[in-house]
Amino acid sequence: MILKAENMIKSFGKKMVLKGVSFSMEEGTINGIAGENGSGKSTLLKILVGLWKADKGNLQINGKIGYCPQDPLIFPQLTVDEHFQYFAAAYGLTRHHFQERRELLLEELNFGQYRKEKVCTLSGGTHQKLNLSLALLHQPDLLILDEPYNGFDWETYLCFWDLTVQMKQRGCSILVVTHLLNDRDRFDKIHNLKDGTLT
Amino acid sequence: MQLRRRIVLILLAVIPVVFFSVVAFTTPDRKVPFRLSSLDGNIFMVASEKQIALVFFAVAVAGFLMSFLAMNLIQKNSKINRRLIVCGYHPFELLLSNLLALTLMIVLISVYVGLITSTFFHVSHLGMMIFSLALTGFVYGGYGLAVGSLIEGELEAILLIVLLANIDAGWLQNPIFYAEAQNQAIIHWLPAYFPSQSAIIASFTEYSGTSASLSSLLYGSGFLAFSMLIFYFKMRIRK
Repeated sequence: MILKAENMIKSFGKKMVLKGVSFSMEEGTINGIAGENGSGKSTLLKILVGLWKADKGNLQINGKIGYCPQDPLIFPQLTVDEHFQYFAAAYGLTRHHFQERRELLLEELNFGQYRKEKVCTLSGGTHQKLNLSLALLHQPDLLILDEPYNGFDWETYLCFWDLTVQMKQRGCSILVVTHLLNDRDRFDKIHNLKDGTLT
Repeated sequence: MQLRRRIVLILLAVIPVVFFSVVAFTTPDRKVPFRLSSLDGNIFMVASEKQIALVFFAVAVAGFLMSFLAMNLIQKNSKINRRLIVCGYHPFELLLSNLLALTLMIVLISVYVGLITSTFFHVSHLGMMIFSLALTGFVYGGYGLAVGSLIEGELEAILLIVLLANIDAGWLQNPIFYAEAQNQAIIHWLPAYFPSQSAIIASFTEYSGTSASLSSLLYGSGFLAFSMLIFYFKMRIRK
């Protein structure tokens, strides 16, 4: 089991946002958490990633996390290559491993021609490709995507699903947190989050 | 990264020139005797009003620029920094990289502003005067970091910086105003006090400004420690 969340509770003041959320994920599966705005998705995601701590409950993650935020969190003044270097250092990758992964991701997501360009000169679609690549650079065991469909253009969307096939084969699990799930048949399990409770 | 933005570089070069040009065109050359509170009360200095204004504005412009740059440095990248911490960096590693960037900017700005000031009149101790400007940058850079770490909204942070920098570095520390000011004790406690004293001593006298310099370092370190704590508590992740 790659992820196991038990009875997660989170409140802000008197408002209880997560009311005992429990779910688990097996290796090599694609899970979705769908919910309307205000259902507690963002809170749950921030707890899973480690940005926030739940007031109560247990969270167990057995492996490396790759986090792909909704809005590309990248530096406008750095080049694509510099982003890979910066994040590779954060992940603690060796030079050889990092270079290998970078080349693979640039090729698979088809944006190698922009590697020397500053990010501020690139399109929104390329920002999304870079955003996703940075989450995948260290070959995570669990990839957590926040509202991926909002920013993906059609080409990136297709590339993303192609990548998921390979990732699943490698044993990587994928968790998509979104307000609207497309292609439901691609998911092994879908959880609905409503009023802080998973159904 | 800030230095990769061409417009930022242009503004950093142009803003001090604008400040000094305004002083040069508007301030009279008449000689003014004045005292400095950090020196013996019996010591009077005589300098032209223009020269005093130039040093005063050199301190002000270094303070203004550094506080804005520091605030921008820490606030603009806060979400990306959190992502990097999720990816494996320690908050102090990112803080250290910000401090290195800040130090580089302090050196560049203080040398640039000091050299421009020295083109208008003979500065008694140019090296020490540049060091005083660096201290201003350190103190106000620390203030910018503290504001940027504490305040999330850009406008609110800018207003906080403008408020203090205008009142302190841009007004109260002018030695001509200060000499006649009531409640001078308030002025003593403001961030630009010690660096201003140090800069004026270096520009016009042969006296030592060591005490003012050390106090500036202490003041700046206070802001720095405060901003580091805020940054750490905001950036830490909970695993």
